[in-house]
Amino acid sequence: MAQYTQLGLQDAASPLMEELLHFHDHALMIITLISAFVLYIILTMVTAKTTDKYILDSQEVEIIWTVLPAIILVLIALPSLRILYLLDEINDPHLTIKAMGHQWYWSYEYTDYEDLGFDSYMVPTQDLTPGQFRLLEADHRMVIPVESPIRVLVSAEDVLHSWAVPSLGVKMDAVPGRLNQVAFVASRPGVFFGQCSEICGANHSFMPIVVEAVPLEHFENWSSLMLEDA
Amino acid sequence: MSLLATVGKQLKSHPALIPLFIFIGGGATMSVMYLGRLALKNPDVSWDRKNNPEPWNKMEPTQQYKLFAINMDYSKLKKDRPDF
Repeated sequence: MAQYTQLGLQDAASPLMEELLHFHDHALMIITLISAFVLYIILTMVTAKTTDKYILDSQEVEIIWTVLPAIILVLIALPSLRILYLLDEINDPHLTIKAMGHQWYWSYEYTDYEDLGFDSYMVPTQDLTPGQFRLLEADHRMVIPVESPIRVLVSAEDVLHSWAVPSLGVKMDAVPGRLNQVAFVASRPGVFFGQCSEICGANHSFMPIVVEAVPLEHFENWSSLMLEDA
Repeated sequence: MSLLATVGKQLKSHPALIPLFIFIGGGATMSVMYLGRLALKNPDVSWDRKNNPEPWNKMEPTQQYKLFAINMDYSKLKKDRPDF
C-alpha cells in the first residue's frame, strides 16, 4: 500500500512491475541530472559579470548540444520499448478470474473449475479493527496462488470503473459490455491494495481492490471454504 | 534539385546543422518504416477484400506478429483453440 508522504512507486510484487520500477529509476536519474545541470547553467549566467553586445555563434557547441540530447533520448527509448513489448507478451495463465465493477463494489468470479463468486465491499471506517488500513481494506479479498500466472478479465455491470493494483503493475479499465484482459504473476506472498481508477459516482473513492497472494495449498483451502459458505 | 542545392550550400557554412538532419531524418525514416510495416504485415489490416478478407483468422499459433520478441519463444506455443 502507499504510505503517507510516499514519493516513489510502491515495492514491486510482480516481475513486470519490477521492470517498470527500474526503468522509472533510470529515467528519473537522467532527468534529475539534466535539471541540475540546467539549474547550474542558469545560476552561472545570471550571476556572471561578463556581458556581450554582439551575436555569438559556435558550430562546435551546436553539434554537441544536438548530438548529446539525441543520444540521451535513445538511451531512454530503448529500455522503454523493451518494457512495452514485454508487457504484451503471450502468457499461459494457470487461473482466470473475472473482476466485475459495480457501483460501488467489485465482484470476483472464479469459474475455471467450480462456480465461485463473491462481492468485495470496502470495510467502513467505523468497522475497522486495529491495524487495518482506512479506505483500503475489503471484506472479501481476491485470493490468488503465488508465483502462478493469473489472467483477470475485467468488466463492469453499470458504469466505467478501473481495476488497478499498483504493486502488481496492473491497471485495466472496466467497461460495461466489454471484456478486457490483464495478466500478471505475483512473485511473493502478501496483500496488495489498489483503488478504483475511473470516476464512477459518489463512492468512487470507496471501492478498493485487495489481492492476497498465498501458497497454492492455502489457496485451495480458501476456495473450498468459500464454496461451502456460498 | 534547386532545393537540395540551396540546403547543401547552407549546410556548408553551418555544419552544425548536419547532426540535426541526421536525427530528424532518421526519426522520420523509422516512423515511416514502422507505419509501412504495420500497413503491410499487421494481421488486423486487409488490403484485398476479395481474396484475403480476414487475415486475422489465418494466424499460426507460432507466428510472431510483433516487431520484437524479448522473452517469448514463439516456436514453443501450441494451438489450443478450435478452428474458425
